[in-house]
Amino acid sequence: MNVKTRRLIFRLATVLVLIGICALMMVIGRGHTVYLDNKTLEYNGETYSAMNKVTVYVNGERIAKLAKRERGSSICIGQKFTMELEIVKEKGDEPVKETFTVKLPYNIDGVVINLPGYLAGLPEEAWRSEFVSLATDTSENAGMTDEEILGGDDMGLGGDF
Amino acid sequence: MRKESKLLTFITNNTVPLMFILICAVCIPISGFSASYLINEIITRMGRNVFLILSLLIPIMAGMGLNFGMTLGAMAGEIALILVSDWQIWGIPGVVLACILSIPFSVLLGWVCGKLLNMAKGREMITSYIISYFINGIYQLVVLYMMGPIIPISHSTIKLPRGYGIRNTVSLLNMRQCLDNAWALRIGGVKIPVLTFVIIGLLCLFIIWFRRTKLGQDMRAVGQDMNVARDAGIKVERTRIISIIMSTVLAGFGMVIYLQNMGNIATYSSHSQIGMFCIAALLVGGASVDRASIGNVFLGVILFHTMFIVAPKAGGVITGDTMIGEYFRVFVSYGVITVALVMYEAKKRKHKSRTGAELAAAQKEEAVK
Repeated sequence: MNVKTRRLIFRLATVLVLIGICALMMVIGRGHTVYLDNKTLEYNGETYSAMNKVTVYVNGERIAKLAKRERGSSICIGQKFTMELEIVKEKGDEPVKETFTVKLPYNIDGVVINLPGYLAGLPEEAWRSEFVSLATDTSENAGMTDEEILGGDDMGLGGDF
Repeated sequence: MRKESKLLTFITNNTVPLMFILICAVCIPISGFSASYLINEIITRMGRNVFLILSLLIPIMAGMGLNFGMTLGAMAGEIALILVSDWQIWGIPGVVLACILSIPFSVLLGWVCGKLLNMAKGREMITSYIISYFINGIYQLVVLYMMGPIIPISHSTIKLPRGYGIRNTVSLLNMRQCLDNAWALRIGGVKIPVLTFVIIGLLCLFIIWFRRTKLGQDMRAVGQDMNVARDAGIKVERTRIISIIMSTVLAGFGMVIYLQNMGNIATYSSHSQIGMFCIAALLVGGASVDRASIGNVFLGVILFHTMFIVAPKAGGVITGDTMIGEYFRVFVSYGVITVALVMYEAKKRKHKSRTGAELAAAQKEEAVK
């Protein structure tokens, strides 16, 4: 094998390795926002009532304490979301702690999980939905012209390093 | 007498760092900042900036001076981060992906820059400075008009409300300081970003190793004398292009590290001053247009950023207006580049005239014989 061929093979291998790392990063680094709803769910004519109180822990940290009709949220990197739930079904019940792992779809950024439906063991389409933001844009960029977006030349006085 | 001349030579060779040590020594007590606060800030800024400044060393080695074209790498890093942010890749994987994604952009831009600099030999610094403005225009065209309709951007948090173009601030909240916080140590209230320093350490080792390789030696030969290097069979133009490409790629990585620390991208301005500040910091560390070392980078970052941190507060205490301190640090940044460039030219002329005088004396002596 001459030098040119060896060099070509080495370069191609480097590119392939980099593409492989990129693909791996895209899978393990995909971020999701998980919204956890403690809301009564109607499914196939049956009602799954919200629990009296649910405390959600992720990685040992309490992220939400949900009463009936409340929503909490957490972030998750990767496609598996593990949470520990401390459930009080009815007022006066002893809290029950359990750990659950939910598979998150790659293509959805914000995943809404209905906890009563999930805990009742219903199929995915019953308790999982996509979060759609209804907020209107009130950011600083709303209604700005290109010139305003690019900003004037501040002669280097505006930034920090 | 010899001791005095040695001291004088030392002072002449290190005027800029000594000047900065003096400024910092005066400003630190006036600012009233505690030691732990100052150390914390300096360490944070070291983690943020050293990688970027190290990217300047390779073109200096190849005799191409201070690479103002590092801005091109910064733009490549920003484009990669915008894409990664839109694809919602968070944390360290997001940083790694952005670094890899920036490579093709950096290589392309570095190649263009290297080609152009080969056409402007001897005027590399001003040419690279103007190239950075030229490419900035193209960057604005891509980011403001092509991202959305041509380059798919799906998230409304990144896109402008009109439906195309990128907002002037892109949040990197989900990867903010992910490198700095991994393996972070806290010693006496000072946070040490161990992983970031490990990455910087690896780059330092790479630069030391690279200097000893065939390509590294070629670059040094080209840097010393292009004609001699060409006669020795070194492909001068190719070597120079490689040095600029390497610098641009490293600047792209550096920008990703810098922005993950900041936690957001100022889409249209983050890169604009980065070359200037990095070069100023390197010069403050005692580097010159044709000579720079890893030590200069670290000393420069420490001194330059100490001045950056204390100047506004010291200015505020002295004059009652913190803006005076802001102006002070900006004019010192630009001033230091001017002083270093003037001193470099003066030294070069002095050296030339000394060599000429020695040659004339030798010729005279030969004629007498």
